[in-house]
Amino acid sequence: MDLTRRKFLTLVGGSAAGAVLFQACGVPEAELIVEAPVEMPEDMVTGIDNWYATLCPNCSSQEGIVVRVMEGRAKKVEGNVDYPINQGKHGVRCEAAVQGLYHPDRVSAPLVRLGARGEGRWEEISWTDAIARLAHSLGQIEDRSSIVLATEPVGGHLGKVVERFASHTGVRHMGYETLEETNLRTSMKQVYGLDDMPDFDIGNTGYLLTFGADFLSTWGSPIRYARAYGSFRQGADAVRGDDGTLYINLKRQRGTHVHVEPRLSTTAASADEWVYVNPGWEGHVALAIASVIVEQGLGDSAAAAAMTGNGAIDLSRYAPERIAAGAGVSAERLRKIAEDFAGHPPALAIGGGSAGAHSNGLANLNAIYSLNHLVGSVGKPGGVVPNPASPVRDVTGSPAASPYREWRGLVDDMRAGNVSALMVHRANPVYGMPDTAGFREALLGRGGGGFNVPLIVSFSGMMDDTSSLADLVLPENHGLEDWGDDVPNPGPGYQAFGLRQPVVRPFFEGRGVHLGTRNFGDVLMGVAQTMEVDLGLEGESFKDVLEAGVEGLFARDRGSVRAHDFRSFWNGVLQRGGWWDTTAAYSGPAPSPSQLETTPDAPATGSGQFALVPYPSIGITDGRGAHLPWLQAVSDPITTASWQTWVEINLARAEEMGIKEGDVLKLTASNGRSIEALAYPHPGISPDVVAVPMGQGHTGGGQYENGRGANVMSVLDTVEDASTGALAWAATRVNVAKTGGWTRVPRFENTAPDLATDEDQHIIKLTTKDS
Amino acid sequence: MAGEKWGMVIDVDKCVGCQACVVACQSENNIPINTEELYNQRRAVQWIRIERYWEGEFPNVKARFIPVLCQHCSDAPCEPVCPVFATYHNSEGLNVQVYNRCIGTRFCANNCPYHVRFFNFWEPSWPESLKNQLNPDVTIRSRGIMEKCTFCIQRIRRSTRDAKLEGRELEDGARELNPACVNACPTDTLVFGDLNDPESRVAKLTEKETGDHGRGYHLLEELGTEPNVLYLKKVDKDAKEGHA
Amino acid sequence: MQEHVQLDQKQINRELLNGVLQMPKWWPSATVIAFIIFITGLGAFGYMLNKGVGVTGLNRPVYWGFFMVNFVFWIGISHAGIMISAILRLTQAEWRRPVTRAAEVLTVFSLMAALMAAPLVHVGRPWRADLWVFPYDFARGIWINIRSPFIWDPSAVMTYLTASTLFVLVALLPDLAIIRDRSKGFTRAAYSVLCLGWRGTPRQWKLQAVAGILLSALVLPVFVSVHSIVSWDFAVQIGPEAWHSTIFAPYFIIGAIHSGVSAVATVMVLMVWLWGWKNYITPDHLDAIGRLLIVVATTWFFFFFLEWVFAIYSLEAPELAMRDLQVFQWPWSGLFVLFLLTAFFIPVPMWLFRNLRRSLWAMFISTILVNVGMWLERFLIIIPGTMRRGHMIFDWGSYHPSIIEILMVAMTFAWVVLGMLLFSKVFPLIPLFDVKEAMVGRDEIKIGRKTVPASIRE
Ligand SMILES: Nc1nc2c(c(=O)[nH]1)N[C@H]1C(S)=C(S)[C@@H](COP(=O)(O)OP(=O)(O)OC[C@H]3O[C@@H](n4cnc5c(=O)[nH]c(N)nc54)[C@H](O)[C@@H]3O)O[C@H]1N2
Ligand code: SF4
Ligand code: SF4
Ligand code: SF4
Ligand code: SF4
Ligand code: SF4
Repeated sequence: MDLTRRKFLTLVGGSAAGAVLFQACGVPEAELIVEAPVEMPEDMVTGIDNWYATLCPNCSSQEGIVVRVMEGRAKKVEGNVDYPINQGKHGVRCEAAVQGLYHPDRVSAPLVRLGARGEGRWEEISWTDAIARLAHSLGQIEDRSSIVLATEPVGGHLGKVVERFASHTGVRHMGYETLEETNLRTSMKQVYGLDDMPDFDIGNTGYLLTFGADFLSTWGSPIRYARAYGSFRQGADAVRGDDGTLYINLKRQRGTHVHVEPRLSTTAASADEWVYVNPGWEGHVALAIASVIVEQGLGDSAAAAAMTGNGAIDLSRYAPERIAAGAGVSAERLRKIAEDFAGHPPALAIGGGSAGAHSNGLANLNAIYSLNHLVGSVGKPGGVVPNPASPVRDVTGSPAASPYREWRGLVDDMRAGNVSALMVHRANPVYGMPDTAGFREALLGRGGGGFNVPLIVSFSGMMDDTSSLADLVLPENHGLEDWGDDVPNPGPGYQAFGLRQPVVRPFFEGRGVHLGTRNFGDVLMGVAQTMEVDLGLEGESFKDVLEAGVEGLFARDRGSVRAHDFRSFWNGVLQRGGWWDTTAAYSGPAPSPSQLETTPDAPATGSGQFALVPYPSIGITDGRGAHLPWLQAVSDPITTASWQTWVEINLARAEEMGIKEGDVLKLTASNGRSIEALAYPHPGISPDVVAVPMGQGHTGGGQYENGRGANVMSVLDTVEDASTGALAWAATRVNVAKTGGWTRVPRFENTAPDLATDEDQHIIKLTTKDS
Repeated sequence: MAGEKWGMVIDVDKCVGCQACVVACQSENNIPINTEELYNQRRAVQWIRIERYWEGEFPNVKARFIPVLCQHCSDAPCEPVCPVFATYHNSEGLNVQVYNRCIGTRFCANNCPYHVRFFNFWEPSWPESLKNQLNPDVTIRSRGIMEKCTFCIQRIRRSTRDAKLEGRELEDGARELNPACVNACPTDTLVFGDLNDPESRVAKLTEKETGDHGRGYHLLEELGTEPNVLYLKKVDKDAKEGHA
Repeated sequence: MQEHVQLDQKQINRELLNGVLQMPKWWPSATVIAFIIFITGLGAFGYMLNKGVGVTGLNRPVYWGFFMVNFVFWIGISHAGIMISAILRLTQAEWRRPVTRAAEVLTVFSLMAALMAAPLVHVGRPWRADLWVFPYDFARGIWINIRSPFIWDPSAVMTYLTASTLFVLVALLPDLAIIRDRSKGFTRAAYSVLCLGWRGTPRQWKLQAVAGILLSALVLPVFVSVHSIVSWDFAVQIGPEAWHSTIFAPYFIIGAIHSGVSAVATVMVLMVWLWGWKNYITPDHLDAIGRLLIVVATTWFFFFFLEWVFAIYSLEAPELAMRDLQVFQWPWSGLFVLFLLTAFFIPVPMWLFRNLRRSLWAMFISTILVNVGMWLERFLIIIPGTMRRGHMIFDWGSYHPSIIEILMVAMTFAWVVLGMLLFSKVFPLIPLFDVKEAMVGRDEIKIGRKTVPASIRE
């Protein structure tokens, strides 16, 4: 008899309790399933659910999502299978959209400030009143250019409305992004001649060489990249052939991924090889690789000649042996990477994140992206695929933000009393600008009897660090109850347009038409109307503008949705969550290699024991998601910590310094600013680097974010990229000292002193051979 | 209904540790917010979790990820120890948790070698407005009872019922059938389906990857729990080949 | 070798009923203190019922903690009763007579304490446990899962409790009749009912004796099974690898006897001190129990050693990690040393000396130490076992008991003390008839040149 342990226990149990009374039997399963008209388990309520397609409001990459709606309430977010960017997949941030919708701290009506700025006492006013007040105040201001409208980089039709509002009323529009991509955008222009971000064909590449960009968690269009990464690893997803046979893992050779970054990020951990590089030396590394390729004649010699301006740039300056010491990467390793990179076409180099956040950031990125020219991967499958222009007239994808230098200029203007009003929409410079920039002080400061900035207006639906200082709050709808659209940037390599529709009625609808929340575009249009400024837009409301734009798509009569009449077309686009045309690829001039406009110098840094590497958290990113409890609770992949700000520090170095996990550390930059955060020693970080997640340390936000952790952005030195003026947010050095305090690090991992290792492969088994 | 044997294939080589699966499961299954206090009390609930293991020291250091959820063991150690049949095996290969039978002995959780069973130490709570998000298909577990990954049984039930009502076959890999974590996972690390259907992706993958040349293995195979979750080994050219 | 202090029946009645018929000076305050601790623990339990198991220090993966330790501890103590009453009766150890009742009563109350510690307060939904398991939802044809040790163990414990209660009752009958005869009014009426019409007829004596022997014999399998089954709560598990041990059953039983017999010795000393029964519990008795304890303790230590050998022999990583935690990591290492000292290395050498075995103080201290040690033994098996469970280091845990758990552990101790105190106020803690029987048994008469016992034993 096949006596399994289970059977044995059954028998023992059976005899022990008396075979007469009990039969050692299982559960009669029928008893556990409630018989109902259609087989229903106890766990099930019947009810009709609908899935509506829309766009994710939580990230700038705006994935296409479908939202499950039951009885008028949004329940669950999933990826829209049809949407070209994410093709059915989604990430942690999309999921939390429903929490934003039902957040207990949402602003449910227009507010006017009572008491001092930032005191948090408000009075509700009606929308009519609010718009009248705003229009009146703006109308009073003679010099309209002293009014600043700060938004996140906003594209689509909303971007169009914002642009019209700015240009027709004469207010100054600035884009704000905590982690600005000025250098990246500039690099795309300089290296590839592209205005928009290209698509990176990770799924089909053979050798992936990435610098700084944590593209599997927060950088660029992470869901798209991660989806492609799956195929890059183990081939395309299962495909069913015409005969119904299922082919699984249709793939070529498994791709190799090498990631160069000062920190072991999620992406670095997933790579086959992580190469530690001293912060700011990524461009040197890229040029070292280029020099080897050129020296050995491995790449495209024409591209090499163009890139170096026929020798005007002496690449041998960057020979591996010469930069090894500065970059902290051995020459052999650099040579090996160069050979592999050139030897496994198609190869793809991507750079961004901290690699571009140095005084030499643009030069770094230029060097990195030029590698693609060298191995001929530009405009090729498995390489850099340029994106075509927007399919909608007058409407673009999200543009670049204003660089930090411009924002510092604004601070000077504010101090000088040259800013009469600041209006913010999804821009939170009070939080994101380093303290050294003095934004908050300039904004709140008083000169000549009144405030430097007499009027602060916020259009945010949630209080945040900047909105809480406002005089007037005109809350916008949540993205799931709002109209909108997006021309994805980066796009999928062909023309695409995403449509956002309200999947539920506005949550505060019950408060009546005079209270509640509104679409931001409608608010701007209303303000302009009251100011008697004609924006020259088609229609009375933002939805009209949007519909007019979609009519333009309808007229093209091609792509994923085609119809006889506009109504059917509109409904088709709503249903699919957008419109796209896989055949409408980039048709502009082919990007050709040109001489590098800049080459990296050694990065400029302050002084301090450690290089400080801030990194966007996987959940709350640069702080945008900090109000959402699910995102706060996401375990950081590397540390498994959450809800706090911690300092990743090398385990051995921490032991030397007498630092143990949870010790409250004080990180002081040479500019004198400091933050306190909890020590998290681990073996995966260089002894010369400390890494700190961004996104905490909010004031004036919701209940899940206020008074939590510290804002690492606040201690940064004001270092800018010399050519673009972008903030070099990875260029600060800090001294680390124990404060004597201790707080438990809220982490998911064990609390045993033992490091979670698996050297014997009990849990994660490895193989050298791909199957 | 009978005849299915639900299973999952997890390709460790693809997982990038992005946590999308974890949050998808929280949302789908009405898991209470894992507050800072819950983490500090070591009572946070993640039906699927990403374990991170270290290897080596800087600079030759690796951090590796592996998603772990209930393995729906065919010979499940959690089942025989439950005094009240609150956790049992159904005819579809699922290890099922019947919340209202559970009395909270935590015996099953002790005996699960994969540590995937979570106890409700406190009454779950949400701010009033956030309750609007809760999934009406999933019971909210009161304090004092055990819970764990169900393979999103509510989705299996609903999609099976809908297919039946509409007189069609449930398609392998259908979105409405797939668990929330599977649909979310951007890299397609997780694949779900009916192991008894030879044409399903899980069956195909199992066939391809088990045996001498495959990458398939079961977690803690030596315990003989016969999981319905098959892992595929991570590929690492520099690794010393693991045993078994 | 025993001293023969012959006492007359009147003196026996007077001395042994002093606790029942009079009020010892210390009794009210001791009872009140025990009661207060008990009530405080109950309050803690109420708080936990209200808030949930969250108020304990339990977590993932340390799902079992103080309550489980306490459960095993009290089950261990409960082995006193059977060991003394059944085994010693069947092996005709004479010295057992004055302590049988105290041991049996200790058994009954510690079993109740055990039930209190585990099924009652331990589970997440006690209200559900009581209504669903006892009685169960039979309407739908779903039986309880008899494969689960959590069905075996309440069954065993309840059987043991029933048998022990019968034991106490049967042995009480003659003594209850004596009290009936010495009291008046309501008290008399109450004891009349309780003694079930005992008149001391030969038939009644015979039945009482036969019942005693029968219960002794029948309860023996329970003796073996109870702690075996309790050990299987752990040993059948595969989750915490350190528990996955075939030696647990005998190891737990011998450990239970070690702690149970020690507890009886502690109670014996207390009986001399508190009620002044030095005529009944003499240094001879302590000497005898001390010698028994040497054997028990040494056997236990052998099993303890074996368990370590088996654990280390396999060289399983989780097992080694658990041992490493127990022995090398503070504070577990401190507790481990304390455990070894108190459970074996202090008391056993003490018992090797005749003077110490015969000293009330020495026996009191040594046996208290044994139970401190045996409590720690269970603690060190259960908690580190769940903390270092298997290969998945990522999930290893830690545990600190909360004040609520500590209060509830104190509650079980208070319960046993309170129970014993109340019992002693209502019933004699030393069986009068048994002592008298021994006296009679020692009466000798001369028949010719031979000296023979005056009466023949049953
Ligand atoms: N908040 C609130 N609570 C209420 C009330 C209220 O107005 N408001 N009303 C109260 C009143 S008056 C009532 S009558 C109760 C009703 O309370 P319930 O009896 O709980 O009512 P339902 O939810 O309608 O039905 C119970 C289940 O039976 C299933 N069912 C349907 N047909 C069959 C069948 O043929 N066989 C079997 N086995 N199952 C079937 C349904 O799918 C459903 O899951 O609610 C009471 N509770
Ligand atoms: S993984 Fe754990 S909970 Fe799931 S079936 Fe197996 S033993 Fe039970
Ligand atoms: S063999 Fe192990 S896992 Fe399986 S039922 Fe028995 S104890 Fe449980
Ligand atoms: S906790 Fe619940 S499911 Fe687990 S063994 Fe106890 S009663 Fe059964
Ligand atoms: S299968 Fe469903 S319940 Fe299980 S982990 Fe995935 S989402 Fe959660
Ligand atoms: S979603 Fe997929 S890739 Fe991301 S952590 Fe989960 S299993 Fe891994």
